[in-house]
Amino acid sequence: MRNRLAGLFWSLVFLAVPVLGVAVFAVAPSIDVWLPKDVSAHGKDIDSLFYFILALTGIVFIATEMLLFWFVWKYDEAARGDQKATYIQGSHTLEVIWTIIPAVLLLFLAIYQMNAWADMKMRRPVMKPTVEVVARQFEWRLRYPGPDGDLGTPDDLFLVNDLHVPVDEDILVQLKSMDVLHSFFLPNLRVKQDAVPGMKIPVWFKASEVGQYDLVCAELCGWGHYKMKGRITIESREDFDAWLEAKYREQEATQAEPLQEDL
Amino acid sequence: MNRHSFFVCESLQRVMQNASPALACTLLLCGLLMSATGCGKTPAASFRPNMVEAAKQRLTPDQEAQVATILEAMFGTPDDPVALPETGLDVSKLRLAAGPVHSDIVGRKNGLFREHCSHCHGVTGDGMGPTAAFLNPYPRDYRPGWFKFKSTERADKPTHADLVTILNNGINGTSMPSFALLGEAKVDALVEYVKYLSMRGEAELSLMRYYFELDDEDEGKLPETREFLVEEILLPVAERWQEAEDAIIDVPEMPEVDLQESIALGKELFYGNKANCVKCHGVTGLGDGQANDYDDWNKVVKQWSDEVLSAHDASTSEMSREEKAEHRAWLARSDKALAGDALDPRTIQPRNLRQAIYRGGRRPLDLYYRIHAGINGAPMPAAAGTLTPDEIWHIVNYVRSLPYEYDGELGADRSMVARDRL
Ligand SMILES: [Cu+2]
Repeated sequence: MRNRLAGLFWSLVFLAVPVLGVAVFAVAPSIDVWLPKDVSAHGKDIDSLFYFILALTGIVFIATEMLLFWFVWKYDEAARGDQKATYIQGSHTLEVIWTIIPAVLLLFLAIYQMNAWADMKMRRPVMKPTVEVVARQFEWRLRYPGPDGDLGTPDDLFLVNDLHVPVDEDILVQLKSMDVLHSFFLPNLRVKQDAVPGMKIPVWFKASEVGQYDLVCAELCGWGHYKMKGRITIESREDFDAWLEAKYREQEATQAEPLQEDL
Repeated sequence: MNRHSFFVCESLQRVMQNASPALACTLLLCGLLMSATGCGKTPAASFRPNMVEAAKQRLTPDQEAQVATILEAMFGTPDDPVALPETGLDVSKLRLAAGPVHSDIVGRKNGLFREHCSHCHGVTGDGMGPTAAFLNPYPRDYRPGWFKFKSTERADKPTHADLVTILNNGINGTSMPSFALLGEAKVDALVEYVKYLSMRGEAELSLMRYYFELDDEDEGKLPETREFLVEEILLPVAERWQEAEDAIIDVPEMPEVDLQESIALGKELFYGNKANCVKCHGVTGLGDGQANDYDDWNKVVKQWSDEVLSAHDASTSEMSREEKAEHRAWLARSDKALAGDALDPRTIQPRNLRQAIYRGGRRPLDLYYRIHAGINGAPMPAAAGTLTPDEIWHIVNYVRSLPYEYDGELGADRSMVARDRL
């Protein structure tokens, strides 16, 4: 009788895995540990891919976990008494089925996501960089090209951690790293790209809503990784231009007092 | 409990405060396990005495103890800072920055210095935190009271606003990052605490050096009267911090000449004998003019270790037995201080002016300050006596043009050189 209890216990433990697993996902959005608010033009594609893959893997997860539970429950030694297990050589048909189905699913995913991937990583908008972001332990150094639109000219604007971009426009970021691997992560814009020393990596997106959001490092880059945090401000074209101009004037100051606005 | 498990406990407590209930339960379980294996009360932090100076001044153990006692009475401990009214420091700001990382009763974050600064600058502000040895240049040691990037004359202290600027912008080209997103109040508290640590460090130095000036009747002990400590030790330091606030360099307007003309004049000065920038910054402006000088922080250690080294080699045959024993003890102590309480001295490189990276800020105003006052603690001299303000402005303009210097050979499409060298 004692053994039967043990079998019961273990089968329930395995049953708890899918039950709790599903419960966590069901509760997560309501306690705000779900995807952050999407304010990007392409975010819907990424999110729907995420949901699709989540549903697919969710179904497989629940099915395999339920099977596990059922086997532990049904074939408990204590419950089956003296009944011996049957020895089989394996089932060719079954193996083919459980190889082909996942293979087809994976192949389908690989093809299905191609367009979204190409949009994010291959179809770069034809334009000069809006801003250069240089990751470094442990901050984001920014450089705007200034009125001439070219980086590396005397009218460049240098800033740190405080990224601004205009709303509803293509933004092209030129991403570099000064020291080690970092990852340029804008959760609300569904953008994540590793910064690699020695490479200039183009990153592009289009913001669809004004507001202030996080810019964080998503690649463990050293002891201060956790505080390698910046901020992205999405604003109207007018506000963005005014901000650029004010910052440029600050950078060119020749006197300690802030210059008077020429109004 | 060692440092590592102390750190784990701290971070765990922090995570616990922000985590959701389910996560918290799991972490709680781990936490209980860990406290069973040695995660308990945070040990009280203490300031580290300036052992190099103590060895240099040949202080006796009693004298070292006296310095520690006086300093604790005047400045308190890392967890419980004291600021006498004469310092002009705001204790409420110091409290925000001091102590272990924790949230107070209204949920305000405390212990900012240990959260953001001490791993490089050290709890004592001696520039010898756990990560310091990995960084080049080394983190600033506040104790001698020298600061590089400021709007005041070379020998003066920086203003409060100068240090705020450094914290907000970081120091590009070094490991000092920007703390602008912490917000004004926190940056302000941290600057106050840096000033506090610097004053404490300078007071410690002057106490240790004061033994040298004692009379025989003092019997090797400093007077511990409030009058002596405040008048002789604290005020000379504190007053210089307060004076700095009104001693900002007066910057005349940039002369109204054509920019290209000004750049040409600046270039002439740069290579000429009067300004002689080329001596250190090199004919190419790449900072390769000289390579074997030290900044003042490293020079202190370098000179001291040379001295100890030659004392090792010195003959002891003339000494009596007691003198020999004393000499050996002093050598052992000096070696220990050099190994454990100082970082290996490194040479300083003159700035490469073609990278468009300016540590003390890139505004023309910042460069004017740098040239006018020089850089305290570094070989860069003040030009104020030799150059007129107009000449300084010309050099500023020339230096600012260096990263983009025109080179006709490269053709019209690539008008700029030496620009993308990060
Ligand atoms: Cu990073």
